[in-house]
Order: sequence, then C-alpha cells, then structure tokens
Amino acid sequence: MKQVYLDYQSAKPVDPRVVEGMKPYFSEKYGNPSALHSIGDEGTEALEESRKTIARFINADEDEIIFTSGATEAINLGIIGYALKNQKKGNHIIISEIEHISIHNIAKHLERSGFEISKVPVDQFGRVNLRKLEQRITDKTILISVGYASNEIGTIQPIREIGKLAEEKGVAFHSDAVAAEGLLPIDVKRDGIHLMALSSNDIYGPKGVGVLYMRKKFRVNPLIIGGGQEQGLRSGSEDVPGIVGMSLAAELMQKEMPKEVKRFTSYRDRMIRQILEEIPDSHLNGHPTERLASNTHVRFDGIEGESILLSFKDRGIAISTGSACTSKTLEPSHTLIATGLLHEEAHGSLQITTGRFNTDQDIDSVLEFVPEIVTRLRELSPIYKSN
Amino acid sequence: MKSTKYSEKVLDHFRNPRNVGTLEGNDVAVGKVGNPTCGDIMEVFIRIDGDKITDAKFRTFGCGSAIATTSMTTEMVKGMTLDEAMKLTRQDVAEELDGLPPIKMHCSNLAADALHEAIKSYRKGRGEEVADDKEKVEEEVECLVGKDEFLDKGVYTGVDNLQDFENRRTLILYTGDKSVEKAIELTEVTGRVILLTPDESLVLSPELAEKLAASTVKVLYESRLLEIRGEVEVEKALIRNLDEDEDYELFVDAVVIID
Repeated sequence: MKQVYLDYQSAKPVDPRVVEGMKPYFSEKYGNPSALHSIGDEGTEALEESRKTIARFINADEDEIIFTSGATEAINLGIIGYALKNQKKGNHIIISEIEHISIHNIAKHLERSGFEISKVPVDQFGRVNLRKLEQRITDKTILISVGYASNEIGTIQPIREIGKLAEEKGVAFHSDAVAAEGLLPIDVKRDGIHLMALSSNDIYGPKGVGVLYMRKKFRVNPLIIGGGQEQGLRSGSEDVPGIVGMSLAAELMQKEMPKEVKRFTSYRDRMIRQILEEIPDSHLNGHPTERLASNTHVRFDGIEGESILLSFKDRGIAISTGSACTSKTLEPSHTLIATGLLHEEAHGSLQITTGRFNTDQDIDSVLEFVPEIVTRLRELSPIYKSN
Repeated sequence: MKSTKYSEKVLDHFRNPRNVGTLEGNDVAVGKVGNPTCGDIMEVFIRIDGDKITDAKFRTFGCGSAIATTSMTTEMVKGMTLDEAMKLTRQDVAEELDGLPPIKMHCSNLAADALHEAIKSYRKGRGEEVADDKEKVEEEVECLVGKDEFLDKGVYTGVDNLQDFENRRTLILYTGDKSVEKAIELTEVTGRVILLTPDESLVLSPELAEKLAASTVKVLYESRLLEIRGEVEVEKALIRNLDEDEDYELFVDAVVIID
C-alpha cells in the first residue's frame, strides 16, 4: 500500500540535498576541530561556517550559537543551565501550561531541586495571556519559558509582547522554537528572546543535532563537562557531519520557506474548511488564524483518537492524535486540557501536520477517508448524541 | 512495546467488530463501565434465558483495544451460564485476543467488568442477593471554595453585560430556568459555555430543553463545582464527577452563579 505521511511534527525525512552535503564529512574531512593540523582545520572551518549559517537563520551573532545533541539537550542547557547560573538572584521560573512535555518535566526536576515553578494559563485558542503572565512575575523570577508555537495545536504565541514584558521586568526569556522553525521567520533580536532551542530534524536536517541560542550576558552553566568545546558550555568532540547537515538544512529552509509556507497554508485551510463543513459536531483545536501553516488539528464529538489513528493506518495514512491511549502515560494531552477541553473531548482529536514532500493528492486522500472513518466510529459509540 | 502494537486478532476485532448495537426487552441486562481518564466507555447488553446468556451486544467509545475487547467479550459469553460469565476475567479476554500491550491491560480492558455489572444488575432486579462493592454514598453538600475570593475577578452572580464574556470560557451553575436561558444567551459571545448540574438530567419545559439542545452549550451532568482556582483571577475550576467519584481541573475564564 502506498503510504501517505502527514505527521511531519513528529519526524521529518532528511532532505536528500542535505545528505549529499554531509557525505564528505564522514570519511574524507573527518578532522577534529580541536586538532591543530590541516586535517583538523577542515573540521574547524566546517564548524565555524555552519555556526555563521545558523546565526544568520535566526539573526543572531555567531558566538551566541551552541551546538548540542538535539533540541532536548538545548532546552535542558537553556533552562537548567540558566537556573543554576542565576539561583542567587532568584529561584522562581514561569512556564506556560502548553509547553512541550520536556519542559514540564524539566520544571518538575527543578522543583525537586528547590526552584519554584509557576504555570501561566492560555486562552481557549492556546495563546498565553500576557496579563496573567505579568501577575506571576515576582522579584524572585529569573526566567520565563514560552514556546514560539505549540507543537500540538500549532498556536503561535505573542512572542514579541512576551519578549518586551521580560525585558521590562528584567527577566530572561527562553523560547522553544522547534515547532516554529522553518514555518515562521525567527529573529531573536526583534523578538526579544534571550535563550532559544532549535532542532536540526525539524528543518529536514539529521536527527541528533540541535542548537541553543544564548544571548550575550545570558550565560548558562554547563551540564556536560569535558574538554571545553562550545565555550566550555557543551564539551565533547563536535558532530561535524551532523552540524554541517543542520546548517545546510537551514540554508535551504531560508530559501524555500516563503513558498513552502504558502503551499502548506493552502493545504491547511482546505482541510480545516472541508472537515468542519462535512462532519457534523467537529471542531477546530487551536487558533483560527494565529496557527502554524503546517498544522491542522480537529476533534470529533463521541469518538476516540487512537481509533481514528488506527483507521487511517489501515488506509495507509500516517497521522497523529492528542489521545491519551497513544501516549506512554495514558493521560490526555496537557495542551488540549489547557485550552479548556474536558477529558472526553481531548480524546477525540486528529492532528495532521504537512511538510516539504506532501502533495495535493496526499490531502485529497486524507479528506476522502475522514467522513467514513468518523461515521463508522460514531456508529460504534455509546456517547455520540444521535445514537 | 508500543501502545498501538496490537495482535492480528485485536486488529481484526477493531476492523470488524462483532455484535455492535443494543438489546431491548425484559430479559435484557445492561452493564456500563468507563474510565474517563483513559477515555474508554463500554456498554455490554446481554439477553438471558433461565441462567444462560443467549445473545450479547455492545457499544464502545475508546481506543482500538477497547473496541476489540468488548467485541471479543460479547463473542465469548454467548451460551455461557451466568455463573460462568461471572468468572470471565479481563485476562481471559486478553488471552483470547492473543494478548494486549501491557499498558492497555488495565485501562481499556474493562469489557469483562461491564459484563459483570450487567449480570449483577439482572440478579438484583430479580431480588437476588448480590455483593455490591460499588454502592455510592450520597455526598453532603460541600461549600464552594473561592467564590468570594474571585468575586468580580471572574466570578459573576449574574449576566448583566454579555460583552464581559466575549471569547471567555464560561462555566455556569444550573440554578433553575434562568441559568439555562443565560447559558444559551452567552453562546452569542463565546464558543465555550458549560452548564454544570449535580443531577442526572435537567427538568425543563420542552421549549427550553429544545433550545438548549440546539445550542452549543455543553452540559455536564452529575458534576459538582468544588473550588475556583487562580493566581489573581479565575483560571481553573475543580469539578467532581459524582458518578465516577473523581475530581479534575477544568480551565475556565469565568464562573457564573445565579442565586
């Protein structure tokens, strides 16, 4: 069966052009950037060129880019590293209710180490409420973390306003930009972001590479100690092929983003419009306009997300759901709950995320199957109203 | 093991569920179990002749394994005596399906429990002695925490100005017809209005009931508001599901309590 992939939020294929560009760095230009001979110099050059490219991608300076083993490490270094470095100034950190699960878990970890965590609620569309954010800032607050856009429902946050508020209050602002990178033009200076995490795979680069953007004067404590690479903040010989891959991915992305975003927006708007029109008792999750171009997130009354996912799987379509029954904990999505949904509502969601290699035909096929899948599962359901 | 890594038998029962539907009649018993945290609700219907189960049907809201286990249970019990069916365990159902992912064992394999509920209610209806461990104790009315604290900070005692509620997730307590009318009115300015009542149903005039059903108001039955929470303003409501005896938090922006 032909497989249709519509789960780009969970993983992306590496662009073949990126793979080509990485190849020389495995067996020909294999030098360690720390070595002083000319084989090592090739590694140094590749590393520093990549750093410049990534800096350009987000309008940062090159000495503000720290390469890591992925976005999770970058988030750990950004939040835990900053908290440890500044614990004499204060022990209070604010995160949003709809941060990625990794940030919720980091917050729990910091709480056990004596930090205080506040969570700022979002509105019914998933946007952080600035007034409620301000209400939470105290003289003990050292850091605010709000993701650039939601990895689940695709809602884009009022990042510039949050950056401005953080600046006024003298608090550092961390943003997980993994869901947004490649879909929105990110400018750390304009946005007022001090610490930011990026992932390579989310812009069609290899997995296992990420970046922490760290603005000057917003330094962090290292979490991995060793030979002092990356300004001593991330020791360990650099993964030069991976880093080259990420920078190539960023270069391609910068060129292709405007066209891609236009294409994804038309996919998204078509899917949302048609599903809401055709399926009774269906609802959009997230914001009607302030949402990532790639993100379609809908829910259907009376049915459960894993059943929807399995039904699509049987038809060769890979999609995702906010259902608890596909997660490790069996808890419903904290993001959907934070938008004010009841558990039973949060269970019936369908998340479609498009990407570089999707076509109009992919969208046709998903739209073709939605009505029959929803109808069949509703016929089985004891809680759908017309039964 | 992945939570969706299912055996072929599970997938077969998910794709082609047996015995979907309901049964009616004096010789029919129904058992309903659900776990709102995991999101599964199962109904099992059995027809009983003497002490034998002659037919079984089901309806399920839930994930793949929830649908498959209820389907399999209805297959297994046909022809069993009530005593035999009472001995059917979740484990038996899982084994008949060639196993379930461990994480799904307790949560979405409640079909056997629904079956037992049905048999118990049948026996009870015939005046037989039944050991019932799920007898609910009627709760005493508890006082609502936070109402005074958040008055004018998201708690309202009436709906005077609709614009105050624009795009705000509003929880309104059922306190009679007026609260229902106000709930319907609120849907003009916000997509999210929840009407909360401790009862199993609302006693309304046919006209108002029809209006309510046609509106986007979400009614939460058998639910009690225990506490209003927030930093400065209303942010969350702590709600007790009286049926399941479970408390949970719901994110809201406004609470309306019309005396």
